[in-house]
Amino acid sequence: MAEVANTPRGRGILLCIQCGRCSSGCPVARLTSEHNPRRLMEMIILGFKREVLPTQLPWYCLSCFTCLDRCPQGGDVGEVTFAIRNLAVREGNMPAGVAAQAKSLYETTRVINPVRSAMDKRESLGLGKITTDGLEDVQKILKRTRMDKIIQSK
Amino acid sequence: MKYAFYLGCLIPARELSYEVSVRKVLPELGIELVDMKGANCCAPFSIQSVDYASWMALAARNLCLAEEMELNIMTLCNDCYESLLMMNTLLKRNPGLRDKVNEILSEIGKEYKGKTDVKNLVDVLYEDVGVSKLKSAIKEPIQGLKVGTQPGCHLTKPKRIHYEVLRSFNELDALVQATGVESVPYERKEMCCGGPLRDINDDLARQVSRQKLMALKDAEVQAVVTVCPFCFLQLDLGQLEVKRHFNEEYNLPVIHFIELLRLSMGMKLDDWEVKAHRVPITGILKERL
Repeated sequence: MAEVANTPRGRGILLCIQCGRCSSGCPVARLTSEHNPRRLMEMIILGFKREVLPTQLPWYCLSCFTCLDRCPQGGDVGEVTFAIRNLAVREGNMPAGVAAQAKSLYETTRVINPVRSAMDKRESLGLGKITTDGLEDVQKILKRTRMDKIIQSK
Repeated sequence: MKYAFYLGCLIPARELSYEVSVRKVLPELGIELVDMKGANCCAPFSIQSVDYASWMALAARNLCLAEEMELNIMTLCNDCYESLLMMNTLLKRNPGLRDKVNEILSEIGKEYKGKTDVKNLVDVLYEDVGVSKLKSAIKEPIQGLKVGTQPGCHLTKPKRIHYEVLRSFNELDALVQATGVESVPYERKEMCCGGPLRDINDDLARQVSRQKLMALKDAEVQAVVTVCPFCFLQLDLGQLEVKRHFNEEYNLPVIHFIELLRLSMGMKLDDWEVKAHRVPITGILKERL
């Protein structure tokens, strides 16, 4: 738990009283028993790191933040999930969709880029060009935070 | 009013009609938009999932660009909005975090000073233009259309970040109704569209969208009005995926709020813009297009 609690977004876990209001309002928990935010918090509190980090469990959350508004403790379950994901990624657990967006960010400054036909359409409409003007800055930042290593490892 | 215009990634790549409509409508309402040259991705949830410090620095770099322009930011996408607003709020409140981000930003010769505010298109229309001025700009109100408004999660949640800006959905509904349509209440209005799980867990994303579509259908709306480009994508294109997987027909046209506003102000949509909607909008807006 300390590993999660010591990150900027993970502190909220220290406030969790296991009341379950997060789970009762969660739109994903309504659809699948695989996801249960209260149980995810419990597993981290009890130190079941191996049972969480290499699995699918960190990746069910929509980040819709319904639980942030419902938690009576201000415990920020949806925020803590980001702290758990950051740790999971460092163990190589990163969905392909996330890895692709991260790679695109590093190479183009944006996570989604227009296809050829959209670029042509932009030009014919007189809309501004999509540039990579900030690329040098973005790469410097990602090298500094070492996120480039994570991207390259995928 | 003048804003640093933060376009994001999705809209200029895939939803050009949204961008065109904003560029046409806002100047008519007295809002001047200045493009942010060299802006990078906001660092949405996918990137935040990978690394906190990178989110902090990437979002702060965009905030710095707006500070250099001496303008507040206007975003369109809910994901951009949440990322930039949240980081701006955190950095303004927490000097320790600000020191950390400035240490990273020193690498690129920038410094975050906390001199800009982040607004969304809805905030700008509600606060700067106002419902009454908006109404006077509406020359051809769209009457007899019952819609369900999809605000999207990050326009209002979490409340502690948004309470100063948008208090409830009422502000958005007031804007939508100003165009002449009737925005009806429906169950699970605050519920997510499912979009954030697209490309992570497509099956679940579809199931969430399906819940949303079912609730809209139950309320017997004729169309869905979205603000966020991800909600649009998920409910429009996603609706076809739901149809394929669950063999269910919804036939709910989805329209960007700004397109609705543009129509009600007497500006037509081009043919390619009409065709950009996967679920055809010609049925509900026939004589207006």
